[in-house]
Amino acid sequence: MTTGGTPIKPFLAKDLSLLGLPEIAPENRPRKAVELLGEMKEQIRSLRLFMDSCAKCGACAEQCHSYLGTQDPNNIPAARVDLVRKVYKRYYTTMGKIAPGIVGAEDATQETLEQWYKYFWQCNECRRCAVFCPMKIDTAEVTIAARQIMTKLGIVPKFVMGIANNMHKTGNNMGIPVLALKDSVEFLEQEMLEETGKAIPIPVDQEGADVLYNPSSSDFFANPDSMIGAAKMFYAAGTTWTISSDIVETANFGLFFDKGVMKEHSNRLLNAARKLKVKRIVGGECGHGWRTWKMFTPELNDRVEFPIQHAVEEAMQYLQQGRIKVDPSANPEKVTLHDPCNMARGAGIIEEPRYVLGRVVENFVEMYPNREKSFCCGGGSGILMDEIKETRIKLGKAKADSVRATGAEILVAPCAICKAQLPVAMEGNGVEVTVKGLLDLVGNAIVL
Amino acid sequence: MAILTLRGHDFEVDEDGFLEDPSIWNEEIAACFADTEDLPELTEDHWKVINYLHNYYAQFGIAPMIRKLCKETGFDLKYIYKLFPSGPAKGACKIAGLPKPTGCV
Repeated sequence: MTTGGTPIKPFLAKDLSLLGLPEIAPENRPRKAVELLGEMKEQIRSLRLFMDSCAKCGACAEQCHSYLGTQDPNNIPAARVDLVRKVYKRYYTTMGKIAPGIVGAEDATQETLEQWYKYFWQCNECRRCAVFCPMKIDTAEVTIAARQIMTKLGIVPKFVMGIANNMHKTGNNMGIPVLALKDSVEFLEQEMLEETGKAIPIPVDQEGADVLYNPSSSDFFANPDSMIGAAKMFYAAGTTWTISSDIVETANFGLFFDKGVMKEHSNRLLNAARKLKVKRIVGGECGHGWRTWKMFTPELNDRVEFPIQHAVEEAMQYLQQGRIKVDPSANPEKVTLHDPCNMARGAGIIEEPRYVLGRVVENFVEMYPNREKSFCCGGGSGILMDEIKETRIKLGKAKADSVRATGAEILVAPCAICKAQLPVAMEGNGVEVTVKGLLDLVGNAIVL
Repeated sequence: MAILTLRGHDFEVDEDGFLEDPSIWNEEIAACFADTEDLPELTEDHWKVINYLHNYYAQFGIAPMIRKLCKETGFDLKYIYKLFPSGPAKGACKIAGLPKPTGCV
């Protein structure tokens, strides 16, 4: 499978050795895909339900940012799911076996897999379609299944595989080695000392701390204000905390393409917490990472003895308890909030960021749609590859329209993927706005 | 992997046009890669950034935090984008022979 000409599909990974999967010869892939689909439909009841359920009512079409932005009919959720459903019907339903033409059943071919790769990497797994579908079909579940099948066939984007390799090697998606992590920590501590006159620590591997904080590794490259905000917050609240040099990554890319990778990442965090003998875990600014911690941790681990909370919930509690004092005049700009799909719609953290923003900024405005109806930034599920930047700009169009209407100067996005994608989506769609994390603004407003 | 020919030399690069083997990098190679970023001439300020990136990577095995890059070179991010229109990660790191920064960035 090639991506020749103008790249409209992500570059393919060549080295999948980390996954330890048996190699499938390209000519056997369609047959194997059908086999894997058969296995999955037996294991995942919801998948079978979604295969059988669609009424083709079209409600999803106008609600999907991917279709709205690309205007490609295969990006209509119902049509996207049909890419799998037509194969499912052909091999696993009576009518599909006997009279495929009548029921829209199709053989699985190389072309089928080309279509799967093209379209399931244009679905952000945002699940907005499910909110509006009368059958409550969750397209993301189908996308996850189709991508898992493709992974087992050896078809994975280079960008995603590179991140999985980094995670395995260093415990974070950027591939930051321990010495570099410590250097960055030292640098940020120095920055905070210069700014505040106070020695605010970012403890590393501190045994017996109450909290193990698990930020996005992008905090140590592109988004240090989020790390600074967290450090200031814990300091002001008097919480003993630490990061682990073994894992500074709340984002779980395994959710996007491989359950084995997802499991390894989840196990690694709990083992780090056990090793450091902390009481609880706090997750940093990551949307789908949060959904993984909240929804998948029990099934991925033998035991989960640590309460796990989001940094935004932590901030809200500190404010409610009076443990931190904030001055909103530190954030005088017009500020709006992007509800990351997996944090808000996916895991219900909707009112907490509003509670916090209401107290740390002077001028907060809502965008529309919002909350569980918020549009995806367009980067969800790891669609951050440079080679499909034009597609990403289209995927971000609906969100750009929402932001433009607010006239906001600052766009708060408590999610590392959103922080990476939104500048591309906004600039690409002609919207001038600065993207920041929620903790960034908390950090500005905290009175030390 | 592909072969990119710059100024008469062949380089092994990945799909993003970044040098496959950072260990072969030198200043002549940097000048060649600057062509791919539409920078026919590298000024003293360009070299300040390039050398800082190269040395940091040699010591720590990863690109430095962008904020630290700004602090140590004395250039704010706006100016770094002026020097390297593709930015510190996609532009400057490429010329400095680093692997392309990846992750949620």
